[in-house]
Amino acid sequence: MTATTAVPAPARRPRTARWSALAVGLVAVALVAILATRPDARNVIAETTLRGRPAPEVVGPGLDGATVRLSDYRGRWVLVNFFATWCVPCVQEHPELVRFSQRHAPEEAQVVAVVYDDDLGAVRAFFRERGGDWPVVDSPSAKVDFGVRGVPESFLLTPEGIVVDRIVGGVTADGLDGFLAQAQAALG
Amino acid sequence: MTPRPRSPRLGVAALVVVVVAALAVGSRGEAGPATPAARADRLAARVRCPTCAGLSAAESEAASSQAVRQEIRARVDAGASDDAILGYLVDRYGEDILLTPPSTGTGSLVWVLPVVALVLAGGALAAAFRRWRAAGAEAATDDDRALVARAREG
Repeated sequence: MTATTAVPAPARRPRTARWSALAVGLVAVALVAILATRPDARNVIAETTLRGRPAPEVVGPGLDGATVRLSDYRGRWVLVNFFATWCVPCVQEHPELVRFSQRHAPEEAQVVAVVYDDDLGAVRAFFRERGGDWPVVDSPSAKVDFGVRGVPESFLLTPEGIVVDRIVGGVTADGLDGFLAQAQAALG
Repeated sequence: MTPRPRSPRLGVAALVVVVVAALAVGSRGEAGPATPAARADRLAARVRCPTCAGLSAAESEAASSQAVRQEIRARVDAGASDDAILGYLVDRYGEDILLTPPSTGTGSLVWVLPVVALVLAGGALAAAFRRWRAAGAEAATDDDRALVARAREG
């Protein structure tokens, strides 16, 4: 009688690791797909209680120390832009505001920037470095008067100073052109 | 000497007195704040942080909350009433800036509905108790008595 030795069956590789890797891969692909296809967070019109009402007055020191008054810009379309130098979307939208301003200022439309919780020295350096020649005003109470929840936020005003749109999360020059044309058409 | 059984009506009356007293004390609210700063703090605690979620303007250190606190303090110092200050904030941010729903308009439903539900539930319970009492206890039948007798013998 010959002795037979049992040959051990090859150990099966655990499948847990393979399934886990597959799951992680699928989640990563789904995340990339969601991020790639989500709508642009800029040029978003948001609700405001001020729509159709006169914009609150904004008064405060400008970058050169002289008093800036929002009502001084009546007679042309005004984009009131709340911003801060520490706010990344504000930095990103700045070149777009420069482009919009170059297209329309000063006769047709005027940008007026309102400093949001920032240092005027930092704001001066910001404009020196990145351009933009529109008036800037430091008025801490303006953010409550306009019901601003965060930066960047912009308000489009008619030449009579009536609030037409509130735009949150940054703007583009083309987007602003669209809002301006729409508002001008509505006004006749 | 066995104690005299107390009437259940006495207990119900005592309960009603306690509930009414508690509601009367609760509806009077807290005493007025001692200083303008305390009044401003109390108002800020009723206002939602405009930027962040789940915090009041009194608790949050966000720039928007600081601005709201400054605005409230300035209006308190200017002699504005609580309603006027909160009304101004609602006018600028919308109704959702308030942490406490308003006691007028549709917001008042938040306050009224629980009271209505409580009253209805109390009424329904009272009606059920009365019905059960009127029905009385069921009397034992001859069959029941025979069953008990067999069980005792057996």
